[in-house]
Amino acid sequence: MTATDDDRIALQARDVRFDFSGLRTDWIPGEPLASHVIDVLHMLLPEGERWFVEVFSQALPLVRDAALAEDVRGFIGQEAVHAESHQGAQDHLIDAGIDVSGYVEQIEWIFSDLLGERGLTGAEAREWLVERVGLIAAVEHFTAVLGEWILHSPDLDAAGADAEMLDMLRWHGAEEVEHRSVAHDLYMHLDGRYLRRIRAMLIGGPALAKLWTDGTAVLCARDPRLRGTPQRRVRLRDYLRAARRGLVPGPGMFAKAVLTYLNPRFHPARYGDTDAAIAYLAVSPAARRAGGTA
Amino acid sequence: MSTAGTAPPPHPTPAANALATITTVAARLAVRSGHRRRPAGPVDRSLPVEVRALRRPCPDVAVLDLVPAGSAPLPRWRPGAHVDVELPSGLLRQYSLCGDPADRSAYRIAVRAVPGGAGSAEVHALTAGTRLRLHGPRNAFPLATAPSYLFLAGGIGITPIAPMVRAAHAAGIPWRLVHTGRDLASMPLSDELAALAPGRVHRRPDDTAGVPTAADLLSGMDDGAAVHCCGPPPMIEAVRRAVPAGQRFHAERFSPPPIREGRPFTVRIVGGPDVAVPADRSALDAVRAVRPDVPYSCRQGFCGTCHVRLVAGTTQVDTATPDPAGPGRTALCVGRAAGDEVEVDLGR
Repeated sequence: MTATDDDRIALQARDVRFDFSGLRTDWIPGEPLASHVIDVLHMLLPEGERWFVEVFSQALPLVRDAALAEDVRGFIGQEAVHAESHQGAQDHLIDAGIDVSGYVEQIEWIFSDLLGERGLTGAEAREWLVERVGLIAAVEHFTAVLGEWILHSPDLDAAGADAEMLDMLRWHGAEEVEHRSVAHDLYMHLDGRYLRRIRAMLIGGPALAKLWTDGTAVLCARDPRLRGTPQRRVRLRDYLRAARRGLVPGPGMFAKAVLTYLNPRFHPARYGDTDAAIAYLAVSPAARRAGGTA
Repeated sequence: MSTAGTAPPPHPTPAANALATITTVAARLAVRSGHRRRPAGPVDRSLPVEVRALRRPCPDVAVLDLVPAGSAPLPRWRPGAHVDVELPSGLLRQYSLCGDPADRSAYRIAVRAVPGGAGSAEVHALTAGTRLRLHGPRNAFPLATAPSYLFLAGGIGITPIAPMVRAAHAAGIPWRLVHTGRDLASMPLSDELAALAPGRVHRRPDDTAGVPTAADLLSGMDDGAAVHCCGPPPMIEAVRRAVPAGQRFHAERFSPPPIREGRPFTVRIVGGPDVAVPADRSALDAVRAVRPDVPYSCRQGFCGTCHVRLVAGTTQVDTATPDPAGPGRTALCVGRAAGDEVEVDLGR
């Protein structure tokens, strides 16, 4: 009884709230690096997911399939709530004295300027829109893979990770798994050409890797609790050690995700565990408080 | 290479400059790719069907078998799925599929006649041979694997639960069903399910057993059981609160409730036109009639997609609930004018 492609899940946003006021900066206790590797999401996603909302809202009028349009609408609402939830966590990082303003300004510039409308109009604007849908489809493959990972990360529980943060990440991960096909389906509807899809991955994949690496370095360097400690400097072997211990996603997972995407017959529905997402949403404290959960 | 149309990075670094170049190349390639892109063609997924049979297991419940009007089999579905039924009058209603998912030659729905309900009255008046159009199926109540299940159904809420029970039974997963209702004569489908495993089905009519509390419904459940509940909203809410933390609770996710006790008002859109919002519709629906591309999603006020700038006037959800968009903004989906009109700016 595994939900598959023939179960078209009705996508709806959930009205979740999180309270990070009591969160430690090493919310995986004693593991500042692993905590900050995941904290990068709080700096990337508020702007990134708002950009998804913007691009998909602009793309909706091009959609000529009512069922896909319904999926895209559900996707937009879920992404909008994700952005706000990560914004709450980002605000907490700032309150905790970690100055991430420079990094966040750079992220804002990337999403609003480089990946904004670029002053294009008419047919050129429309094609740039389709290109950005392709980029989002590539990035959404990673978010689905990350969602899958966080839903199956018992080592974080064993390490005593903060329950509120884990719930936020797993609720988010479950919704990413739940809506993992939407961006791909939208790209396939609007264009669908293989080389263009791969081109988007060749741009999105390395850019994401660089932003993630830089973000981790910034968080560790600026964390006042790490002042004067060797953990202030991020070392590759420390990351690999955390990955081996199951506290952060490992490099192999990302490499495999890219290889999967290269398959000309790739479809997200064939990867990922919808059952795990549904099961988590049925126990998530935030989703339970929000009501209307399935 | 020129990076026209973009501002310089706030913090110039080699990586930022490289990214600016890469995105500029991407935008140019996008324009070139557009020359050979075929625009999306229309996709019609609606399903023409015909009413094959209508029977009444209870005086106020109609069970309909719907068969495809063409030769193609109906789309696959899983327990918990529903279809949107377009009735001959044009009314659109959602009904859970309650038949056998393996049978691709027919969909079954069961509809209780609701006093004053135009949709259910129309369904009850349908006759064999009538053509209908369906949209879907969609699943807002998916069934995922669990060590065991407790199914709770209130009245006609048995419809999505019935195929779940059959699926759990077929998979050999332990399950139990509690079906509540006014009296046995108003509780369809569970008699057939009791034939599968009489010991697992508890039919609990209020007239003899009394109205159950959530604790009654959950009593004797396994620790690892996934609770699946469908019934009147107060029943779902009570069970939601009573299921212990850490134990799975599943309920159907519904569309927003209809607007009650709304007052008509006017939305003036900056740059025109003025839109009249009837008492029973949202500003979003009214605005979309003239601006179909206005973004929205949750239609419950919280996702923020349809929040726009409020230029003049004040809005609220109702006298007890403020507009969730906050000061200076309004959620088109739930915000209503406190007076007779408001002015909004749909521009970004």
